[in-house]
Amino acid sequence: MSQTPELPDLDALEDAARTDIAAATTPQALLEVRAAYLGKKGSVAGVLRSIGQLAPEERGPIGQRANVAKARIEEWATARKSALESADIDRKLADQRLDVTLAGTGRPRGTLHLATRVQRDVERFFLSRGFSVEDGPEVETEYNNFDALNLPSDHPAREMQDTFWVEGGHVLRTHTSPVQIRAMSGRKPPFRFIAPGRVYRHDMSPRHSPMFQQVEGFMVDEHTNFAHLKGVLFDFARALMGESVDLRFRASYFPFTEPSAEMDFSCVLCDAKGCATCSQTGWIEWGGCGMIHPEVLRNCGIDPDVHQGFAFGMGLERAAMLRHGVPQIRLLYEGDVRVLEQF
Amino acid sequence: MWVPMSWLGELVELPEGVSVEELAERLTMAGLEVDSIERSGPDLSAIVVGHVLSRKKHPDADRLSVCEVDLGGEAPQTIVCGAPNVDAGQKVAVAKPGIRLQGKKLKKSKIRGVTSNGMICSTSELALTDPDEEMEGILVLDAEAPIGATLDTVLPSGETVLEVAITANRGDCASLLGIAREVSAALGTPVRIPESGVPEDGPPTSDSIAVEIQAPEACHSYAARIVRGVTVGESPAWLQAKLEAAQLRPINVVVDVTNLVLLELGQPLHAFDLAQVAGERIVVRRAVAGEPLATLDGQDHELSAADLVIADAERAIGLAGVMGGANSEVGDSTRDVLIESAHFSPECVRHTGRRLGIHSDAAYRFARGVDRDGIVRAADRAARLIAELAGGQVDSGIVLATGNAPDVVESIEVSPARVNRLLGTDLAATEIVSLLAPLGIVASGSDPLVCEIPSHRNDLRIPADVIEEVARMSGYNSIEPQPLFGELTTGTRPPALELADQVRDAWAAEGFIEVQTFPFFDPNGLDALGLAADDPRRATLRVINPISETQGHLRSTHLPSLLSVVRENRSRQVDCVRIFEVSRVFRLEKEGELPEERWRATALITRPEEARLWEGAPTAELFYEARGAVERLIRALARPLRFAPSRALEPYLHPGACADILGGKSALGVVGEIHPAALSRFEIGGLCALIEIDLSAVGELPTRVQSYREVSRHPQVRRDLAVLLDRDQPSQAVLGAVEKKAGESLAWAEIFDRYEGEGVPEGKVSVAFRLVFQRKDRTLTDEEVSTATEAVVQMLQERFGAEQR
Repeated sequence: MSQTPELPDLDALEDAARTDIAAATTPQALLEVRAAYLGKKGSVAGVLRSIGQLAPEERGPIGQRANVAKARIEEWATARKSALESADIDRKLADQRLDVTLAGTGRPRGTLHLATRVQRDVERFFLSRGFSVEDGPEVETEYNNFDALNLPSDHPAREMQDTFWVEGGHVLRTHTSPVQIRAMSGRKPPFRFIAPGRVYRHDMSPRHSPMFQQVEGFMVDEHTNFAHLKGVLFDFARALMGESVDLRFRASYFPFTEPSAEMDFSCVLCDAKGCATCSQTGWIEWGGCGMIHPEVLRNCGIDPDVHQGFAFGMGLERAAMLRHGVPQIRLLYEGDVRVLEQF
Repeated sequence: MWVPMSWLGELVELPEGVSVEELAERLTMAGLEVDSIERSGPDLSAIVVGHVLSRKKHPDADRLSVCEVDLGGEAPQTIVCGAPNVDAGQKVAVAKPGIRLQGKKLKKSKIRGVTSNGMICSTSELALTDPDEEMEGILVLDAEAPIGATLDTVLPSGETVLEVAITANRGDCASLLGIAREVSAALGTPVRIPESGVPEDGPPTSDSIAVEIQAPEACHSYAARIVRGVTVGESPAWLQAKLEAAQLRPINVVVDVTNLVLLELGQPLHAFDLAQVAGERIVVRRAVAGEPLATLDGQDHELSAADLVIADAERAIGLAGVMGGANSEVGDSTRDVLIESAHFSPECVRHTGRRLGIHSDAAYRFARGVDRDGIVRAADRAARLIAELAGGQVDSGIVLATGNAPDVVESIEVSPARVNRLLGTDLAATEIVSLLAPLGIVASGSDPLVCEIPSHRNDLRIPADVIEEVARMSGYNSIEPQPLFGELTTGTRPPALELADQVRDAWAAEGFIEVQTFPFFDPNGLDALGLAADDPRRATLRVINPISETQGHLRSTHLPSLLSVVRENRSRQVDCVRIFEVSRVFRLEKEGELPEERWRATALITRPEEARLWEGAPTAELFYEARGAVERLIRALARPLRFAPSRALEPYLHPGACADILGGKSALGVVGEIHPAALSRFEIGGLCALIEIDLSAVGELPTRVQSYREVSRHPQVRRDLAVLLDRDQPSQAVLGAVEKKAGESLAWAEIFDRYEGEGVPEGKVSVAFRLVFQRKDRTLTDEEVSTATEAVVQMLQERFGAEQR
């Protein structure tokens, strides 16, 4: 005799499954719960198996309901699985917590010398203005360093230069100006050059260094004048020291320029109000400049009645020292890495 | 040049409204740079004028007075005073509490029960007198002194002195008159030429002296004056004060007058004791070679035939324009004085001054050129002052001899267009004329302007000189800056500088710190490096006047300097020193010629003695760290450089840890650890490796453009194999053989371990190779790879006696 089986209560089954899934705290326990409901021998499979025994009109609705239950339980189990996995990763990462306040590892940072960096700034500016960089030897002939620059041997202006002499009657160049002679000789204007590099003066006082860096700039054609010289120096000063810097030009004397000027830049530390660095004047000496002396042009085979041009020269370290607050130039050349690695 | 303001004021009118600072600024902008403004004498600006309203005896002290003093404030102040001369009605100098006096801060104080609100000052308390000649009591001021005014406005005290730097071209400004002319040009006030009219009471000068110029090329003119019957004593106080204010030491009245005129007019003078001038003759001649002369400074000189002397009939009595002779010096017993005012050639004075090392005020001025028209005026002015201050009478007339005319430029033609072309200005001819006029330059005509140059401006010789005067007078800062113009050009850099920068960037990226050191060194450093006697780096260039003996040569190698830098940093407890320098080194190639200068890059690295714990201790040899830096540098330079075991071993290198850096067939550098013996000679402990590269030689090599290599889309197969090799077998050769043998399917091979020690027989080393196989056209089979690897193993056995582990 056939017995009508009791209809399975799928609502209760779902509730029980949801509770069991939530109670599973390890992936293994979850696996077991899943098997208990969705496995081949699980409760949902049992319901589906028993459908055959139901009255035909009941089979459809119960079957559909059982499939819905299966999908729901599957969904809950999957969600629970990923929750357990991410909790597991969190736990592991928590164990791997580092002391992020410790210093980083790897190579210490290297540094370029301050003078190298300023020289690059200077070159970049003048290359952008179409100047070429010219190089010359550090040991120079007396002729190139002095005579050709209108500084004959008994000229009183030579006393301004504390010259290092080397054997053979040569000198360590006292300025970058001899590069003018080398560059201009045998060339036809128009041309524009800068010549950065090391120069030497026999002076060991605290504010000076026997070696320092200068840049020389010169431009010759038929019309370049003092106003152009001022124009390019203003642009240069602003590129190097900021837009707010001002320049002033004082009359002066150099045997290789006429007219000659010394230029001062406005003290960047006190905004030209006057401080210890600028000796309360608001101005800091920058370098010398002027229109190239006709005699120097002639010495280089250039006709001063046709061609004219300007030349300027200044120390490179000053602006960088001010920018970084380096009090004495000698600090740059003592090789103390505690100083050099700061920049 | 020291310029006392009071003296300057005698020579040019200084307008009321122009402060000393403003004047200094004007001079500075015009090319006479004022280096400092010195104020001598005490600072009286904190002391005020008080009016003593009443004076009573102090109740508890007989010698003290209690005064009520009006200081111009609201109520009179009570001040206790110990001076006997204080009295009601006086104007006195009062220091208020809070100011500093004689280095001490003045406080309000109770004196025997009476509170004193300040101090009535004596001259010594104000430092107005020498402590030695102290006056009794307080300073009593003029009755008209305004109450409450600061004392500096009431009492003239001290002097303001400008220190002016004179450029080498402006000999004319080495005088107060010269500065006065510049002030006049700047401010538009007139110059006052000092009085030089001279009372001539004596016999004709020419009766007593004859002047003969035997060297007319070196002496353009020579004027002589005689003052008779002088008493050579101290100068009057005003003259001494004047000289002292200008930083000159007073000597005696005659010498002081010559110095006064030198400072005032810029014309050097010399005074001879006429009694010592033999034969009533002055001869200006070249010295006889070897002729002796003792100068006023007590030095004995042996003269050369190029020196110009002033002689009498018998002997030299002075070095022309440089210094007088001791044999004719004016002293206490001198009665008659011969004054010399001359114009010597600058070249001649410079020559002798420099040869004998004499830097006198006279030589300084002659070397820069004196006013050719000022000779007689200076002689007259000196004669007048000597007669006035030392007594005596002046002989009549002046004896004036002339030599060759000096090389002078009396006028310069300048076209206004030229002025504007050089300056970038737009000045009309008339503007130029009026700019030049205040300087005494008279310009006439219009195009060109003909500019008459005053006799004292011997620096103005060419049109550009006049153009500078135009710029100076209009003000350099009034010239509007203009942008450059011309054809657009491309700026280029010399390849040597590019290369130097590439090295700097590569090594900074390695963590090295760039140093720049002086090129001076002591060749003993080459001994410490162990260089052979015939090493080319021994050919160093000597500095004639070095800063110190240990900096007496120009370096031919960076090493001694950089090793010193390492040592110094170590001594500052910097353990991990990684430094480099890129600069030129010098080598004497041929006597008399310029030395060879070569760009060189040198790096030194030391091992840190303590590594931080979490980094782990460094394991690789220091050599490999240095080599790695070179490998990456070679990539950066893109030039055909490679390594080879060192052939010409440097004596300062560890013989087992160094390699040459080859470019073509020649060694252009080395990398290696420094020999411990060399290190200890430089007093450096621990380990130190170096890299040295001749960049000038590297620059000769062609650069290579790296071409693209196709990358494979097929998988790699790796095989590692470890073999035992002879310890002395260089692994590079083995690796090369492996690469060859493995065939075309090998992508690359590398040595990833090298081990000796436990488990490895004596004299052997275990080397581990990694072979990476990969083809671009297909995926390799295991079998292919195994076959290739076995072939390699077999080759290693046969060729290198390798035993697989």
